[in-house]
Amino acid sequence: MLSIKGLRANVGDKEILHGLDLEIGAGEIHAIMGPNGSGKSTLAHVLSGRDGYTVTAGSAELNGVNLLALEPEQRAHLGLFLAFQYPVELPGVNNTYFLKAALNAIRRARGESEYDAVAFMRLMKEKLRVLHLDESLLKRPVNFGFSGGEKKRNEIFQMALLEPKLAILDETDSGLDIDALRIVADGVNACRSPERSMMVVTHYQRLLDYIQPDYVHVLAHGQIIRSGGKELALELEERGYGWIEQVTEVAA
Amino acid sequence: MMTSVSNSNASIHAMPNTWLSAAPNQLAGNHMTDIKQARSVALKQVLERGLPTVKNEGWRYTSLRSLLAQNFICTPSDDVLTVNEEAHTAIETALQPALETYRVVLINGRYAPQWSYLENLPSGVQIDSLNAVLNQSPARLAAVFTQIADTAHYPFTALNIASCDDGLVILIDDGVTLERPIELLHVSTGSLNQSVTPPMMHPHHCIQLGTGAQAQLIERFVSIENAGVYCTNAVLEIALSPRAVLRHARLQLESLNAFHITGLHLQQAIGSDYSGINIGIGGAWSRTDLITRFIGEQAHCEQRGLYLVGDQQIMDYHLDIAHQVPNCSSQEQFKGILYGQGKAVFDGRILVAANAQQTDANMTNNNLLLSRNAEIDTKPQLEIYADDVKCSHGTTVGQLDPDMLFYLQSRGLTRSQARQMLSLGFAADVLTTLAPEQLHEQVINQIERRLETATF
Repeated sequence: MLSIKGLRANVGDKEILHGLDLEIGAGEIHAIMGPNGSGKSTLAHVLSGRDGYTVTAGSAELNGVNLLALEPEQRAHLGLFLAFQYPVELPGVNNTYFLKAALNAIRRARGESEYDAVAFMRLMKEKLRVLHLDESLLKRPVNFGFSGGEKKRNEIFQMALLEPKLAILDETDSGLDIDALRIVADGVNACRSPERSMMVVTHYQRLLDYIQPDYVHVLAHGQIIRSGGKELALELEERGYGWIEQVTEVAA
Repeated sequence: MMTSVSNSNASIHAMPNTWLSAAPNQLAGNHMTDIKQARSVALKQVLERGLPTVKNEGWRYTSLRSLLAQNFICTPSDDVLTVNEEAHTAIETALQPALETYRVVLINGRYAPQWSYLENLPSGVQIDSLNAVLNQSPARLAAVFTQIADTAHYPFTALNIASCDDGLVILIDDGVTLERPIELLHVSTGSLNQSVTPPMMHPHHCIQLGTGAQAQLIERFVSIENAGVYCTNAVLEIALSPRAVLRHARLQLESLNAFHITGLHLQQAIGSDYSGINIGIGGAWSRTDLITRFIGEQAHCEQRGLYLVGDQQIMDYHLDIAHQVPNCSSQEQFKGILYGQGKAVFDGRILVAANAQQTDANMTNNNLLLSRNAEIDTKPQLEIYADDVKCSHGTTVGQLDPDMLFYLQSRGLTRSQARQMLSLGFAADVLTTLAPEQLHEQVINQIERRLETATF
């Protein structure tokens, strides 16, 4: 599904990713963990095509297609989805209007027929039930005045609607209380499928109590320094990230 | 080079020679001494003062040069204004969308009964052409025609009064509520014959609402497809009696061959309520003056606006809201979207006279610049002589937030679609006040189409 090889990326003159390798197979959930500043969000942004990052080496392919040469919307058309750590508020842009435009843009790009208003409403109502989202959110401007939890649920709602092949969840747990976290995790779990892969970027282990990963990777100083099963997350929870410094110092 | 610059500056000051004899005897109502007198006073004012230059504060950012270069005929003859059968399909198209209204259509500034619909008007409501009323029963307009407009400060209003021959009259009696909106459509063709000098038209509208009367007016300026060059110099005189309520939508959707001038002179008596929305999308060169005078307390005025200005366009909005009596409130909110080489001017003044205590007034102007070469000159001003008032103004000029663009792109929308969506989002709080729904949709479609084909 996703294949990253030797990826190096800069912000300005500063290299953040120092040759990163990662393979994610179809239907797998991979957790990317690591301390602040390790490059987790940079990885998510580089993959989704945000401005401000320069890829200097390496490759990232989604089902064999070079992602790095594409515009952000073309990546979305291929099936990439980023759930933002800080979803942007769009005053004046109606949520339903936005969601319909996004879904139809992706369907159009894939050569599928567009949804009309009635079919779209039916689909939305079905997806809403899964996420326990209040229907009133759809009538409001996108994320505008939403609580932290509502914003994150709106992200997962979009994921459910757009049905990506690879979803990147960037610190989806940040700013959520335990009830909101559970609802968001339920939503994510409802989206699990053998055809859908996920990259769950998180600082804390607690999200992984609810979204069980197949693999856990530890990212530090722009490289994956350790990979393992879900027990690795528990180890991190116990030991913290302090030991990484020792590991990387020894490696250096 | 120097000579040509100084020559054209000089020519801006003087009225074009062809405009000097702007008031032929046969203009409507001139059989009445006082009307003829008012017209000649107006003409004298504009002749003596000349036309403004960029040295005049109110015209600092908008030069008349391109308008004067067209050599408009100030009082075009009927054969210039009359449209032949061939233009009828184009006119029919320009009238869309069809709304449930009482409809008055002016073609090239002249009342066109065959396109208008005034059946089943309730009693107490009179809607007619200005030409008919001035010629047949001018006394009905005694309190409005030339009585509200400020010819001393608005030279094009003076020129209109000196030259106008037709327009719309709405007179609504005390206590009458007109449920169905009145629609006023200005359809212009321009000079379809290239060899004919383009016309300047002077539609003049008189609107008087009696005590407690209520009405909605939807005013549209449109051009037929492939219209020639023309200039509309419109004036509205609106008198709201005590507690009268007027909702007024104004849409300027003309072709890029059009020059447009509006002077809207509004007078509000005690407890009256005016709410206007001004959409400016079309026209090569447009200037709109919105002038409000409160003459009674507890009156409320709202003026909203949205302008979309791109290549080959200059659009200038001037507001002058005069709180001359206590306890009135006004709110002015204008938003602008600019792209390409588009240029817009927003100049708004709220005047609060010394005795106008308890005035509550607020003016904002927000602008979205979609390209580096677009220009906005914005100048909201408060001029306050009273000491117990609540007044504020604010202005912003900004660009699209790259984070917002990226968010939308990451959801599969192209940059162009994202730009459209965010621009409409920026304008949404103004546009939501635009009714009915078909008009709202028409404006949104036009904005989308313009932004789709625009260069940035």
